[in-house]
Amino acid sequence: MEKTMALLEIKNLHASVAGNQILKGINLTINPGEVHAIMGPNGSGKSTLSNVLAGNEAYEKTQGEILFQGKNLDDLAAHERACAGIFLAFQYPVEIPGISNMYFLKAAVNAVRESRGEEPLDAMDFLDLVEEKKKMVQIRDDLLERAVNSGFSGGEKKRNEIFQMAMLEPRLGILDETDSGLDIDALRIVSDGVNALRGSDRGFLVITHYQRLLDYIVPDFVHVLVNGQIVKSGGKELALELENEGYASWNGEQQ
Amino acid sequence: MNLAELRKKAEMEFSANGFPTTREELWRFSDVSPVANAVFSNDWKPSELEFQSLEGSLVVVFENGKLSREKSNLGNLPEGVRIGSILDFPDPRIGSLAGTQSAFVAANTARFSDGLWIEVDDGVQLETPIHLIHLADLDGAAFHLRNFISVGENASATLVEEYVGEPFYWTNTVTECFVADRGLLDRYKIQRESPSAFHFQTLEARLGAEAVFSNHAVTLGSRLGRDDIRAKLAGRGGEAICNGLYLLNGKQHFDTHLFVDHAVPECNSHELYKGILDEKAHAVFCGRILVRQDAQQTDAVQSNRNLLLSRGAKVNTLPQLEIYADDVKCTHGATIGELDEQALYYLQTRGIDPVQGQAMLTGAFANEVLDEIRCAPFKAYAEERVRTWLEGVAK
Repeated sequence: MEKTMALLEIKNLHASVAGNQILKGINLTINPGEVHAIMGPNGSGKSTLSNVLAGNEAYEKTQGEILFQGKNLDDLAAHERACAGIFLAFQYPVEIPGISNMYFLKAAVNAVRESRGEEPLDAMDFLDLVEEKKKMVQIRDDLLERAVNSGFSGGEKKRNEIFQMAMLEPRLGILDETDSGLDIDALRIVSDGVNALRGSDRGFLVITHYQRLLDYIVPDFVHVLVNGQIVKSGGKELALELENEGYASWNGEQQ
Repeated sequence: MNLAELRKKAEMEFSANGFPTTREELWRFSDVSPVANAVFSNDWKPSELEFQSLEGSLVVVFENGKLSREKSNLGNLPEGVRIGSILDFPDPRIGSLAGTQSAFVAANTARFSDGLWIEVDDGVQLETPIHLIHLADLDGAAFHLRNFISVGENASATLVEEYVGEPFYWTNTVTECFVADRGLLDRYKIQRESPSAFHFQTLEARLGAEAVFSNHAVTLGSRLGRDDIRAKLAGRGGEAICNGLYLLNGKQHFDTHLFVDHAVPECNSHELYKGILDEKAHAVFCGRILVRQDAQQTDAVQSNRNLLLSRGAKVNTLPQLEIYADDVKCTHGATIGELDEQALYYLQTRGIDPVQGQAMLTGAFANEVLDEIRCAPFKAYAEERVRTWLEGVAK
């Protein structure tokens, strides 16, 4: 039987930011349909991992290999990775004054479509798509007309991230501490949105400090990231274990 | 003093004083010696440049400093509106606002070859925009254009001035505007001069009681240029709006000097100037607001924001508030920044390439000024020109 190609393969990944080595040999494979959670204390390299995957040029990959659907990501800039199907939901979504959410989304959707050789959506088709997807995360119409994330509450920003993900339909969704700053209602809405996007051809990497999010987005695998390395992997029960015992024991092991 | 005497006086003053140097406070960031050292001809020929008038406008075409009646469209003017050559209507008010102190105004006063003259009678609303186009294509020539606009009580008008040309010349214009009580004048300028040309303009406006004057300057062209914009709020309850957008690259140098004079109580003034500079461009912005002792309940807001796209670009911004009244609201702010890398990265993670991303971000920055333009056909035209420029520098 032919082995299906992994969605994402990370091999011995080392990365640094501003000269500081943050990731020190990460190995991780995500297959289509799987949800992987990465948990770790502050400073363990969680956000570095998401930024390296998304192609942030401020982060330098110093060693190792990242394959996305079998293709080496080294030569792809951030926008090319997005077009290839990688989506990063930001921990701190950026406010962009002067550009309306709708204008921004249309540019994004059509950039991705263009990269796939598809015709750009016209205004009507685009609005239909917005109508269909906005229900998923309960985005209010006034937020669509406002400038991207400008003056949005923390919860609105995170919902906007998931809304964008729904619009762009990526192969791999990376959620970088999406739960931070969310109250329980917003957390539920965001999680419902993510769960609705789960499917056999899509994978997720859910990065979080707390176990709470994983009550709503139940992962297939949990990995513990400490000091730039995955120190333990397991099933969803590992998250509960961490919740009870904390990260202290692993921090201790490093010292 | 009649006009002939004024012109003689201006010639004498200009001959005696010459051009300003960077030792003078008002000129310390703008070296005009390239203009002073050049020799300009007084030849004339018709222009071969193509032009497009704004949709639905009354177009008035000047070619190489002279009115072209053939290319203009002044046949059917509404009642109470007169538009023509300043040479045919030597209004005694010409020069009364601009004076002759500034070298550029003096040179213009002494030598102007022609110009636009507009008079809108009391109570007349001229809905159609007047579109002045100056076409310059006489190499090595100087064009001194003198414009005069008078808007009567309870009257309104919209004027668009457009300056375009090639290759090397000096445009030196003066526009004087009188807006009578409760009158409204919306004035727009788009400056698309040749990248090797010099462009200098002095704009003087005097507002009566409850009059509104709005000025919007979009600057894209010229190697070296300056706008001197001076608005005097002379009647209670007047409002002056002075907005501008300058987009500069290469070695362009453009200087804007604003002066808003609050002489009486209860007037408002708003100034929003924004600039985007690439390569080795240099912009100067000096915004002076004078609130005289009598000008209580003044509300004055000034903002100058600049975006530098390259390390070689430079801006000098100088807000100057002079307040002698004690019951006023005056604010000002000036910023100089770079393109938001975080925003660019965010757009990129959504599939938008950095070239398009930069054009979107700079476009958003510019739109704040363009959104204030009330004249729809001019707004569309300016947006298109600005978009083309922004896409050009993003590549």
